[in-house]
This record gives sequence, structure tokens and C-alpha cells, in this order.
Amino acid sequence: MNVFILYLLLVKATLTSFSGLASLPMVRNDFIVRRHVLTDRQLNTAVAAGRIGPGPLGIYVVSVGYLVDGAPGACAGWLAMITPAFLIIPMLRFLGARAEHRRAKAVARAVLFAGAGLMASAAVPLARDAITNPLSLGIFAASFVLIASARVDSLWVMLGAALIGVVAFQF
Amino acid sequence: MRRPPLPGVTRLFFRVGVTVFGGGDPSIAILQREFYRRDWLSPEKFAIAFGLARLTPGTNVIAFCAAAGWYMLGLGGALAAVLAITIPASVLVVWLTRAYDLTTHSRLALSIANALLAAAVGTMIGAAVLLVRTQCKPGRWLKPIAISTGAFLLAFVAKLTPLQVIGVAALVGFFWAEA
Repeated sequence: MNVFILYLLLVKATLTSFSGLASLPMVRNDFIVRRHVLTDRQLNTAVAAGRIGPGPLGIYVVSVGYLVDGAPGACAGWLAMITPAFLIIPMLRFLGARAEHRRAKAVARAVLFAGAGLMASAAVPLARDAITNPLSLGIFAASFVLIASARVDSLWVMLGAALIGVVAFQF
Repeated sequence: MRRPPLPGVTRLFFRVGVTVFGGGDPSIAILQREFYRRDWLSPEKFAIAFGLARLTPGTNVIAFCAAAGWYMLGLGGALAAVLAITIPASVLVVWLTRAYDLTTHSRLALSIANALLAAAVGTMIGAAVLLVRTQCKPGRWLKPIAISTGAFLLAFVAKLTPLQVIGVAALVGFFWAEA
């Protein structure tokens, strides 16, 4: 498949979705059902690879690009993933001039507080997957305490968790 | 707010891009905490970036990074943030695609990934608590707690989408503006 067409198909999927995996039905329809350049098994591999690694869930489109056309396809997938993000800049410029208004500030603060609630609600299903034994419960609790109450750099929290993962593997 | 150096901003996004597991929300939680700790982004600008990222097509966390980078250092900051958070993770996802069978059967890789995911969840909830706690001032604690709790319930119990929750919060904020 032509790498430019690949980019256009992937960017169509990312531009018409509003979260990481919401583009999945369109990707499946374009690449599996209509063009037969990908199989369901490969799409599952792409999604799984995106979930295993770090980064956003939407990163699976890089894997889709790679499976369709190798390294150039991965670049097309990466470009399709980041293209929509820059649409936020014109929106920020438009809002910037109005951000000092009292009500605009109140709206921004309310959205900030809602963000905390959304983060906590998004953490619940992740917690069900992540906290499966006393060790993971301990890692969760320690991370929570360190981040919520102390001034520890999050890098040390993550590195500490990875180290515990290595040590736990030895036993 | 301090104007951050471009290499420092790039390093922070790079670091989050390669160390944070569990999707976009944990990444935003960690970035928020690091921005506040370094005094790089005000809570108001964080809120605008967070809210607009939900309205931007595509992957929300990447739009959030573009917005945060733009607020801190203009277009150069937006580019640096997006490239630094996506390129290393994209290289890793290609490697994971190639090594998929190997990684799913490696007990060491799974042990590390499980530990990192548990830490990411603790970080997310910790960052949410910290966010509300730092905004609670004597006599001005009701609004942060009421809106964050309401948002949690709307998302978790009423199953509203994040976009709908932010819309409700924006309306509440508009009509509940403090003097």
C-alpha cells in the first residue's frame, strides 16, 4: 500500500475519534474489511503491543502502520497519530485572549477539579487490572502516598516499581 | 510561573513517554504533578489544556502535551513536547509488535509491566488527590471537593463520557463563579 494513502487512511481514523482506541472501528473497516491489507489477528497484535508498552493507547496506529508497510508505515502511523494534536493550538490562541475574564477563570478551575474526578474514575478500571496480589497492592499504596503527600520525583516512583518488578521475578 | 528551558521540557516529556504505562490518563497525572512541582504551568492553564485536549480529535494526551508545551514555550515547546512523548514510545511499540509473542511469554517483562501499572494507578489517584488538596484554601474548600467528587460520580456511576463531564463542570463553573 502506498505510504501516503496509508497516512491518509490512518489520519482519517484519528481525526474522527476523540480518544485512543475510538479509531479502532474505522481502522478495522478500512484495513481489514475494505482493503484486506491487515488481518484481525494483526490488528489484535497492534492493540496488544500498544497496551503492553508505555505511552497513550492511541499508539496502536503506529503498530498498524508498521504491520501494513514496515518502517515507512510506522512513520506514517506516527504522523497520523500526532497530526490532530496540533489542532489544539488555534483553540488555545482563541481562548488565550479571553482567559483572564472572571467567569472564564471560574470555568477553567471547575474543569480542573473535574479533571481530578475523571482521573480517579479512569484509575478504577486500571486498578482492577493492576492490583491482583499483595505486592501490587503495596506498590499501588506506596506510589499513592509518595505522590499525594511527599515531594518525590515521579521518575523515582516508576524506577522503584520497575526494580520491585525485577526483584519479585527472582522469587 | 518560571519560563522553563527547552531541554528540560523535552527531557520531562521524553521521560514520561518511556516510563508511564497505562495510557494517557496516568501520563497527564504525572505531568500535572511535575509542572506544579517545577512551577512551569499554572492550574488555570493546566485546566484549559486538559479541557481542550478532550475536545480535540485524536489521542487526548498528545493534544494535551501540545497545549502544555505551547503554553510554556510557544510552537517550539509544543513540537518538542509532542515529539519527545511520542517518538520513544513509538519506537518501543514497533519493537513490541515485532517481539509480541516473546514479550507476552516473558515472565520478567510481565512482572515489570505489572509493577509499573500498579505504580501508575497509585500515581493517578495520588495526583488527583494532590490536585484537589492544593486548591483547597480555608473557607474555599467546598467547590474543589464538590466538583471533583461530582465529576467522579458522573463518570464512574452515571457513565457519562469525559467530554460530557467536562461540559457539566464548565457549566457549574460558569454559574458558580466566586467573587
